[in-house]
Amino acid sequence: MAAETSSSSLQLPCVFSPQSRQYLALCAQDGRLRIWNTDSKTLHQEYVPSAHLSATCICIAWGPCRTVKEGPQRKKRKSEVVLGEEKADLLAMGTAAGSVLIYSTVKGVLHCTLDGGHSGGVNCVQWHPKDSLLYSGSDDTYIIEWDLQTGKARSKWKADRAAVTSLCVSPDGKLLLSAGHIIKMWDLDTKEVYRKFTGHSTAVTTLRFATTRPPDSNGLYFLSGAAHDRLLSVWQVREDGKDKNSVVSFTLTDEPQHIDLVASNNKEEAVRLAVVCKDGQLHLFEHFLNGPCKKPLSPMCSVQMSDTKDSPVPIPMLAAALAAGTRAVLLGYGTHLQPVMEKLEINTAERHVCLTRDVQTSMSISLETAVSKVKTPFVGDKSRVLAPGLPGHQAPVKGTTQGSEKRKKGTETREMSIAERLGEIDLSAVSTEKGAPKGTATLQTDNFAVLLLQGLESNDADILNKVFQTRKEMVIKKTVARLPLPAILPLMEVITKRLQGHPIAATLMVRWLRAVLMHHTSYLASVARSDCSSSADVDHKAKLVYEEESSDDEASGDEGLPDNDSDNWEEEEAMEEDKDPDSKGDSKANGEEDMERGNESEEE
Amino acid sequence: MVEHGDIRVVRRGGSKINFRQPVITNDSRLLLCASGHSVKVFSTSTEECVHELRGHTDLVTGVVVKPSNHLQAYSCSLDGTIRLWDFTDGILIKTYDIGYSIYSIHTSAFHKGVVFTVTSTISDKKSESFQLVAVHLPQSGDQLVKAPELSAVISDVSSNPGAIVFGRGGEYIASANGLHLEVFFFKKQKTYRFFLKKDTKTGGKNTFMCVAAHPKDDCIATGHEDGKIRLWRNFNHQKEYTYSTLHWHSNAVSSMCFTPEGTNLLSGGVESVLVQWRYNDVSQRDFLPRLGAAITHIAVSPDGALSCTSHSDNKITIIQGIKVSAVLQGLVTGESVETDLMVDPRSKALVLNGKPGHLQFYSLKRDKLLYNLDIVQQEYIHELGLQQFKVVKVAFDASGNWMATVEERKQKDAEQELNLKLWAFDEQTQSFVLNTTVADPHESRITAMCFCQAAASQTTMLISASEDGHFKAWQLRRLAPDDGPSCLCDFVGAYRGLVPHCCCFSADGSLLAVSFQEVVTVWSPASWELLATLSQPPKAIRNLCFGRLSCSKYLLGTTDDHLLCCWNLLTCSLEWSTSMDISLLLGDPLTENIAAFCCHAGSTDLFVFKPSEPRPVFSLKAVCSGKVTHAVFAPREEMLESCEESSQWLNHSQLYFLTQCMDLMTFTTKAEEEKLMASSKQLLIDDSVAMTPFYLLLGKHRKGESGAAASGESAGRPPLPQGSGAVKELLRTPAHVLPSTSFLCSMFVKSLLVSVGDASEESKPAEEEMESEKEEEDSEGDMESSASRPERGSLARRSAEPAAPPLTKAQLRELRRVKKLDHSWLTGLLRS
Repeated sequence: MAAETSSSSLQLPCVFSPQSRQYLALCAQDGRLRIWNTDSKTLHQEYVPSAHLSATCICIAWGPCRTVKEGPQRKKRKSEVVLGEEKADLLAMGTAAGSVLIYSTVKGVLHCTLDGGHSGGVNCVQWHPKDSLLYSGSDDTYIIEWDLQTGKARSKWKADRAAVTSLCVSPDGKLLLSAGHIIKMWDLDTKEVYRKFTGHSTAVTTLRFATTRPPDSNGLYFLSGAAHDRLLSVWQVREDGKDKNSVVSFTLTDEPQHIDLVASNNKEEAVRLAVVCKDGQLHLFEHFLNGPCKKPLSPMCSVQMSDTKDSPVPIPMLAAALAAGTRAVLLGYGTHLQPVMEKLEINTAERHVCLTRDVQTSMSISLETAVSKVKTPFVGDKSRVLAPGLPGHQAPVKGTTQGSEKRKKGTETREMSIAERLGEIDLSAVSTEKGAPKGTATLQTDNFAVLLLQGLESNDADILNKVFQTRKEMVIKKTVARLPLPAILPLMEVITKRLQGHPIAATLMVRWLRAVLMHHTSYLASVARSDCSSSADVDHKAKLVYEEESSDDEASGDEGLPDNDSDNWEEEEAMEEDKDPDSKGDSKANGEEDMERGNESEEE
Repeated sequence: MVEHGDIRVVRRGGSKINFRQPVITNDSRLLLCASGHSVKVFSTSTEECVHELRGHTDLVTGVVVKPSNHLQAYSCSLDGTIRLWDFTDGILIKTYDIGYSIYSIHTSAFHKGVVFTVTSTISDKKSESFQLVAVHLPQSGDQLVKAPELSAVISDVSSNPGAIVFGRGGEYIASANGLHLEVFFFKKQKTYRFFLKKDTKTGGKNTFMCVAAHPKDDCIATGHEDGKIRLWRNFNHQKEYTYSTLHWHSNAVSSMCFTPEGTNLLSGGVESVLVQWRYNDVSQRDFLPRLGAAITHIAVSPDGALSCTSHSDNKITIIQGIKVSAVLQGLVTGESVETDLMVDPRSKALVLNGKPGHLQFYSLKRDKLLYNLDIVQQEYIHELGLQQFKVVKVAFDASGNWMATVEERKQKDAEQELNLKLWAFDEQTQSFVLNTTVADPHESRITAMCFCQAAASQTTMLISASEDGHFKAWQLRRLAPDDGPSCLCDFVGAYRGLVPHCCCFSADGSLLAVSFQEVVTVWSPASWELLATLSQPPKAIRNLCFGRLSCSKYLLGTTDDHLLCCWNLLTCSLEWSTSMDISLLLGDPLTENIAAFCCHAGSTDLFVFKPSEPRPVFSLKAVCSGKVTHAVFAPREEMLESCEESSQWLNHSQLYFLTQCMDLMTFTTKAEEEKLMASSKQLLIDDSVAMTPFYLLLGKHRKGESGAAASGESAGRPPLPQGSGAVKELLRTPAHVLPSTSFLCSMFVKSLLVSVGDASEESKPAEEEMESEKEEEDSEGDMESSASRPERGSLARRSAEPAAPPLTKAQLRELRRVKKLDHSWLTGLLRS
């Protein structure tokens, strides 16, 4: 018997709040109660019972939804606040020490403690759906009915010879199911046994009413699941009392851990059932309950979850909740310490569904959001950037006025040829990627150089765009190397113009600039002497890269360096003196490059 | 017109919580803040709204805790009443009718029975001026009291509650307005005024923004427009006053507060940094940066454990020590809702632009912010006058897998910067992932953006229309076979160089309508052919909307000259048109209904109609005052089953709209309300809570009491004798309503001293033991045991009976005395 109870206590309690499923209450291995918000998928609150290590929480039950308290003398005005959706508030926790804690999630404090009732650990707590009553079943074989208005036990009775492992109150609040050695159905008015059911050989862990019909109509069914049992049994409460055996059974892959069901209100409505097994699988059933069914029913759909690694590892499901109207299922998965909640619609046409989820990232996102309430969407390297000028950013304008159309026809024919040409280049690029011989590769860069030259000469933006879009270092290098010297200056002009444009385009241009500087610095330096006017902005840009590359040069001229540095870091006070250094400090500000360039040419 | 008595317009929250300074209660557990027409009570630890104190009929303008009873609070409102609340239980205790609109309320522990309010002076002048008035609250037992005794204290004060403060021990009150500081001493009945020049030599602006007074020292701190804080001392002299200046803030200081002991001064402003100054050593400062938005109010709890700041983005941050412990975030409604209202198909949350650069996801069901999604991902610089990226457009596709956002930055000298971002929802990580950024998608502002909503379409298509005269179609395509899809421009359309304003896809995605000023063009997205142009010349088109389901052949549009047109797309002709000033036309995505908000004589009417039928399905006059420009149909999770014709349009989805004052409203049917009411049986639970030693003492006493009482009767659960009822009442009444302990103590001790308790307490455990023994015996026949238990119990009680009766009599007498005493005290209080 002891072994059985310990096995049931191994399962960590994990319950969704009723109705709108706003919260998921979990009691993890560390004895803390955590309540997660299923909407924002964040930790809503954490409660540490004062004796969370000695008297761990064994079971949790959400109280019936609280409604917003109305003021006593309130008249309805036209645009009044609506009654908000009822909030789930109170949470009953049964502990190993035999006490029941009632915690208010709205206030974040312990509401009251019900103790002195049980001498053994509390295995299950159940709220009465209508009155403020609470039922608890314990290892000490007793059931206690607590009156929450006074906080005292209203009645206490011995239920079984063995520990009471599970309880369930019927939706109308008149019957109570208890499971110990055998399953008993109690009439709550008289506290008498109404029926007894036998069948499970191990401790019953779950009891649920599957229909909402009255007990004397032959239509009341309930289901039960037991430890180490891979079957869920459905029992019919029959009018004639001949209800000794289970009528239907559902097959599972492992012992049931969490059950949620949508009860059927009439014969035409099927019972929908979501069972999370100990092996982490979710099984969905749908069945019309009318009378016995010999064959065990297999699930309509089984859902498994795995992570995104190369060798997938299954992610265990913790809980699942069904919604009454829709097909959507709310899932909780991951670890008890950090579950991930997700609402999704499962395609029940397939018998096996496997979902892949990246739990690590979603957990880290949820942690960040908890306090700041800011969620940062993922921006990876894979995202494409379309800047003006790149293909796909623009498409030919389709005009509707006749006048403009004529003009466009001319341009379009010209564009066509270029487009074809560009397309061909694309093809060759693709083929080189696939490991074509090197000959074509050189041809390709050659093509690029020619194309670039053409573009520079004609100043055609389309061609230039196509060429500048390349990211491959080698191609850029070779293209620049092959470019004839007279084309360098126009190229630099184009590059500088584009550098000053959009920042995203600028990042592309920097590679080109570097290539130009690597191959043609000497040329640029010599040209700069001859016609300063045209290369004015070229110089300006060149400075940026220069400082990085020619660090050797700077190291040699050590004496000048500290001065420069201090000058840069001088604060505003220096501003007043600015005029003086200007006259003599020419050599520092813009003479710097001149000097260095001089060095370069000397080296040559 | 049909009369629709059963559909109401109701508020669905979203009101401001940062309007006035929040108040933290003495135990630091609750936070009170004015919110629209009510006062909200939040829990500081769970961020949940515990109560909403409703009763005011106009904007609530101030909340303060009653100084003489820290479990009650006053609230004042523009409706001219002050209300006294018990905020732990959410009960209205009293209403004082003042008769004038009240702009703020101030109390001090040293002025009993008096509250100070700011009301507007009755004057002929157009410029409104305010005065500080002392209101003597009459003591009476009535619920509604008229407060006739008003006496002016200071005239010409600021309506900003932060500019009036009580000084040390309530001896003086300081008020700042414009460029002068006024200190009024109650004892001397004398006022001192201090003036500042408008500008300092270095260009600083001296206008007073807020005032704080040191609780222990004669020192007033004032915050100024240029970010300086002045500490005034020696101000009980007209001439010899001194002040020192602290300067850290670069913009105006919007709020200041001294900690309860006066060791620290907290200040905040637009920089959204909470600055903590040491009072004794002003050079030492602590900072709490990155609070998210400009600080508007600062409050500190009376025990100094918590402080809270309210921010311009409708947020209250609760700070414990130097760490943010909780954030209460309301619906962020800045100056404008640029993105319009959207519903995220995945989470069913309302989506609109929130904090700068963010999209907010707001749960309609729970009136609670879910999260802000950082779209721009750039640090927001908190400084006045900076132009920063704003999210201006958002669109979702039908499944919620794709989201498109447009962000823009308008700079004065440079060109406008525009970014179109396409986000894909990644199932694996359960978050949005950036797919494509299109820099400068258009040369000018984007006026409209929409996704093709057809469920059956193979590709995802996005249309963006811009002021540059083009509209572009973006399509998801794979560039390389191993690449993921990315967004590429598929088509650019223009029409006679006109500016496109609205775009709209038909339900099946086969047609695209784009309005170019007064012309509507219809395109085929498959071939990008211009199929038809429809026009209704005089004025530009304002809204466009396709009919759905059975009405899919209709296209509706509204024009600037108050015309609602309906075109038949099969014949390409105008089917009908009517004259109506429609500010917003909206199609329900699930039915063929179309809602039109019609602006008429300063208020808005709602019409719901089907394009094919001449009679409106529903109409409601005067839905709200002002123009409605933002509304959305949110699909219901559970369909309603209403058979009434007038409310059928609400079966599939719910209509939400934003009023001009940014309140989120919706429509409910009677059936829906009844459904809510039906399940709303209150759960009554004894909340006498935790096991404190005091509780143990009281609990034991109570147990003894009931035990003694039980022994008097023989039935299983006997009713308690009358005498103990009084004691019970005494014990159960909240402590704050009871007289002082010294008064009750002797009474209590006497009742405890009576030796009856011992005997009955002894008898009880014995009785319980017997019970359990007996039950153990018949563990086999549980059925019998449970049936026979009551008799046995009563038997056991009978056995204990003989000892009890004489003692209970003595106790009863005692209890009656207690009861008498209790009442005399109560009546005494009422008479006083």
